[in-house]
Amino acid sequence: MKLAARRWIGYPAALLVVGATIELLKLFPGVLAAFLATLGFNFFFLPPLYTFTIADPRNVTALFVFLVSGLLIGRLSALSRRRLELLEAERRDLIALTQLSQGFLADTNRESLLGVAAHRLREVLQCQQVAILLADEKGVLARRVETPGAELREDLAELAHRQGNSAAYPSDLGGTDIYLPIPVGLQRAGVLVARGLRSSERLAEACALLLGLAVERERFLALARAAAETRTSEQMKSTLLAQLAHDLKTPVAAARGVIENWEADSGGSDASRMAGAQLDTLGRRIGELMDLVRLDSGTAKPRPERVTCGEIVEAAVARFGEALAGHALFLEPPPPDLAVEVDPAQMTEALGHGLENAARYSPAGSTIHVSVAEDETNVFFRVADQGRGVPAEERERVFDRFVRLEDAGRLPGSGLGLSIARSLVELNGGHLRLREAEGGGALFEIALPRTAA
Amino acid sequence: MSRVLVADDESAIRKVVRDALEREGHEVIAVIDGQEALERFEEGSFDLVVTDLAMPRVDGIELVKEIRRRSEVPILVLTVRGEEREKVRLLDQGADDYVTKPFGVAELVARARALLRRGESARSPEITRWGDIEVEPEARTVRKGGRTVHLTPMEFSILVTMLRKPGAVWTHRQLMAEVWGTTAGVTTDTLRVHMGGLRRKLEDDPNRPRWFRTEPWVGYRFSPE
Repeated sequence: MKLAARRWIGYPAALLVVGATIELLKLFPGVLAAFLATLGFNFFFLPPLYTFTIADPRNVTALFVFLVSGLLIGRLSALSRRRLELLEAERRDLIALTQLSQGFLADTNRESLLGVAAHRLREVLQCQQVAILLADEKGVLARRVETPGAELREDLAELAHRQGNSAAYPSDLGGTDIYLPIPVGLQRAGVLVARGLRSSERLAEACALLLGLAVERERFLALARAAAETRTSEQMKSTLLAQLAHDLKTPVAAARGVIENWEADSGGSDASRMAGAQLDTLGRRIGELMDLVRLDSGTAKPRPERVTCGEIVEAAVARFGEALAGHALFLEPPPPDLAVEVDPAQMTEALGHGLENAARYSPAGSTIHVSVAEDETNVFFRVADQGRGVPAEERERVFDRFVRLEDAGRLPGSGLGLSIARSLVELNGGHLRLREAEGGGALFEIALPRTAA
Repeated sequence: MSRVLVADDESAIRKVVRDALEREGHEVIAVIDGQEALERFEEGSFDLVVTDLAMPRVDGIELVKEIRRRSEVPILVLTVRGEEREKVRLLDQGADDYVTKPFGVAELVARARALLRRGESARSPEITRWGDIEVEPEARTVRKGGRTVHLTPMEFSILVTMLRKPGAVWTHRQLMAEVWGTTAGVTTDTLRVHMGGLRRKLEDDPNRPRWFRTEPWVGYRFSPE
């Protein structure tokens, strides 16, 4: 009776001992503890006491049950322990990743970002060496940042980058050496190498992902900065050009005004009229040169609007009408409400150069025919003259700057008009070419893409 | 004699404008920017203001706005080619007309004359006879070279509207508002078609109109001289 009571107290006590042992010695020693506890139980509680012999055969069964329960408890306890550890590790990883991403986000400059990233990653990944290799535009791993003394195998990094697969190898530094592609969308920005890795490969992969995001973000920031800088420099350019145009044109305008005033007071003379005409020409040349400079410097940005073809023709004829004074003008009314999406001023200018060109290279009194036509994809503005036309082999060359056909040498003109016109048309998404008009004259044709109605 | 206020930051242009207007018999006060123009404008009364568009401190557009808040005085603006949007904006802000640099002195003087003449803007046609054309607004008849011309109601309406301000520029919007009573649903192309009709009936060469001229991307101008 006394013995039985001791057994019933001793049994749970022994279990506790088993449990505590497991707690103390962790997983594997738990099995050992189960055996020790079983032996202890036998020694202290099973008669004959203080021996490892068992008198009653029934107690053998009891002892066996005791051992099995001990092992079971040990196993369960170890499992939950293991799970806790995993959770704890994951929690640590998450905190590390969060800190890492915060760190990455704080850096807006690639150099400082990468410099710090290698060191941060070494801590987070608990590894010996970290290297970050970034690809240039051609996909070559050109840029490299690493913790001091990092040694890595270029061929493995190259392989990871080319194939986009990560690869892990047992490390001579202990742990693993891992070569991870840094993903950016579907592309790869480079390779992250961690040597002597102690933490999980999954954490390393997550770090590579974060690094990819940081690199991508930095790239976008750099693009945004560059765009802002370009805008500023373009604004400056365009302000300077406007100032220059103003500075060049004002003296011409003033001189012309002085002559006109003088003519009004004193009646004028051939000389004053000649000076006036020369100043007009000078003013036009300055205008053309400024147009050219604007086109070349990229400050002639079109501001497209929906305008009807009729308006464009009307504006061009109004603005360049003086040049056409010696010719008969035949305007075919454009289809009503046929519209295009272009910069109105630039298109007026382009078509105007066509009118000027026609007037200049066709005999006085002949007809200049202006028409607008359309097909499924394009709207055509055409200026046809009754001059000698341009030989087929010269039709592209006349669009080059300062090129004038040989027999045009005596006529006024700078050889810039057609070149400017073509640039203006192309800026607005169209094409300009010279063709042969019916009757052999030149046909100046602007083709603009149709806009959806 | 009229008093004219001229604002331009270029001394050479100031001189040209001053000489031209003084020859016309006007008293000219010339200043170098919009700020000074406003100060002088406060001090005395003027019959016409001629201002450059681009000036330091207060520019042309600002000056037009400020003057319009205080007075109905005609304003003529000196602009540069390629500033069509600016021109429309200027006219919307209350400027009466513009000349485009490099302008001829004759053109400047003609515009100034037209603006000065139009001191009290007429509700009825200012002019009914020019060239070989005669208009009788009451009878709604128009004759060219002695022969009666049949205008559509829209063409006639455009004609009598423009006759109210000879020499003046009308923006598309202004003309549409006057003729249709609204700018909603009227496109500049509609206006252009009616203007085309008017020109075919009244101009000697409708493709190169002499009386009803196009101001590219701005509007139209009736110039009977």
